[in-house]
Amino acid sequence: MLFVATLFAQNLAANEQVELKEHFLNKINEVILIVEDKKLSKNDRNGNIVKSLTPMFDFELMAKLSLGNAWKELTKENKDRFIKLYVERMKQSYSAKIDAYKDEKVEVKKIEQPQPNRIVFVTDLVSKEEKLEIVYKFHKPKEKISAKDSWLVYDVEILGVSILKTDKAQFKEFLLTKSITELMDVLAKQS
Amino acid sequence: MKFVYLALILSIIFNLTGCSSKAVEKPKETVISEEKNGNVADDELGGFADEMEVKEIYDPFSGYNRAMTSFNDGAYEYVLKPVANGYKAVLHVEVRESVRNFFNNLYFPMRFTNNLLQGKFCNAYEETSRFVVNTTVGVLGLFDPAKSYFELEAHEEDFGQTLGFYGAKSGPHIVLPLLGPSNLRDVVSLYPDALLSPIDYTERSYWTLTDTSAEYLGAKSLEKINYISLNMDRYEKMRKDAVDLYPYLRDVYEQYRDKQIEE
Repeated sequence: MLFVATLFAQNLAANEQVELKEHFLNKINEVILIVEDKKLSKNDRNGNIVKSLTPMFDFELMAKLSLGNAWKELTKENKDRFIKLYVERMKQSYSAKIDAYKDEKVEVKKIEQPQPNRIVFVTDLVSKEEKLEIVYKFHKPKEKISAKDSWLVYDVEILGVSILKTDKAQFKEFLLTKSITELMDVLAKQS
Repeated sequence: MKFVYLALILSIIFNLTGCSSKAVEKPKETVISEEKNGNVADDELGGFADEMEVKEIYDPFSGYNRAMTSFNDGAYEYVLKPVANGYKAVLHVEVRESVRNFFNNLYFPMRFTNNLLQGKFCNAYEETSRFVVNTTVGVLGLFDPAKSYFELEAHEEDFGQTLGFYGAKSGPHIVLPLLGPSNLRDVVSLYPDALLSPIDYTERSYWTLTDTSAEYLGAKSLEKINYISLNMDRYEKMRKDAVDLYPYLRDVYEQYRDKQIEE
């Protein structure tokens, strides 16, 4: 009985991975179509990329995690303002990076599921010149967030450099000498 | 002629060790690890705590490093970038790619040796094949037919990675003038790598690209400007995400090197 149950669980997990992979690749194709649409202005293009990707990314969670322990100490207003600024900055930065891609292909080369509610895609961004390894980390919130996918990206690693860890480290260092208001002012300027 | 023998012998050895065909790692589609015991963290963020552990970087020279980072940033903005822009306007992208290929090909002894030192024999073999193909068919390394026709991949390895491979820690972070972020381990490694670089001007028993220090500087500057001209907005895009430039570049560098060593 236990054996059957384990088998069933494994099957379920495998299905989940396949489904997510399909969804992910579809998303990528959608984004590539937008990037290649040179009829659109750069701003429209970036806007469309953001619109297409937002349901797959948990920017809000990233904002919270990037502050680490400092997050808990924020007032309600600061929490809301920080999330808003961080999300905006993330969208800008990510869409600008994606818009620079040309004739590149995304290949999923490895899928891992370290925990039942975590899936990691190791992908290669293949261009004629080189291969860039990009890792997407997904989590599945216990309750589905409205207007979001069920699996959400909470960190992206480019050539081993984690966006979230880098932000966390730089925010932490910034807050050693400066205040959260100053940090938010810098973030506001970035987006 | 000697070289042909060497290549032949190497190819026989590697065929015997069974790495002549490309070792393509089969994608693991379903890796399921054991389920952790069911007590999910009550706090939404708690579940991520272990992944978000940020490694403290040993940084006793932060004052100097910070100053050097501003200097480098200024040098990029006001000297390197304008020069690279002019260079880019004059030379077609194909020519610039060939300049890059030429330099990359010259670094073969460094990559080969460091692959060997880390016991990565298949990669060392692939590097050798690349060098042979690109130096001959690829006209002294100006073109990269090894990649485009034979699907032979480069395997970047330097002495810093070799030291890291054997467990050497990175040591204090050091920002080098014009070269940018580095650390003690990687700075020390510049010397053995230079010994393996045919661009160097010191007396060698074999051919080197330059004979005097002035020629050496010229060649190195060309390489740098050429690199910038091909990767124009990479640094600028990256810089935009920084709240504070120095610690940001430092963390990015250390994470990137850790990843390279891990591979």
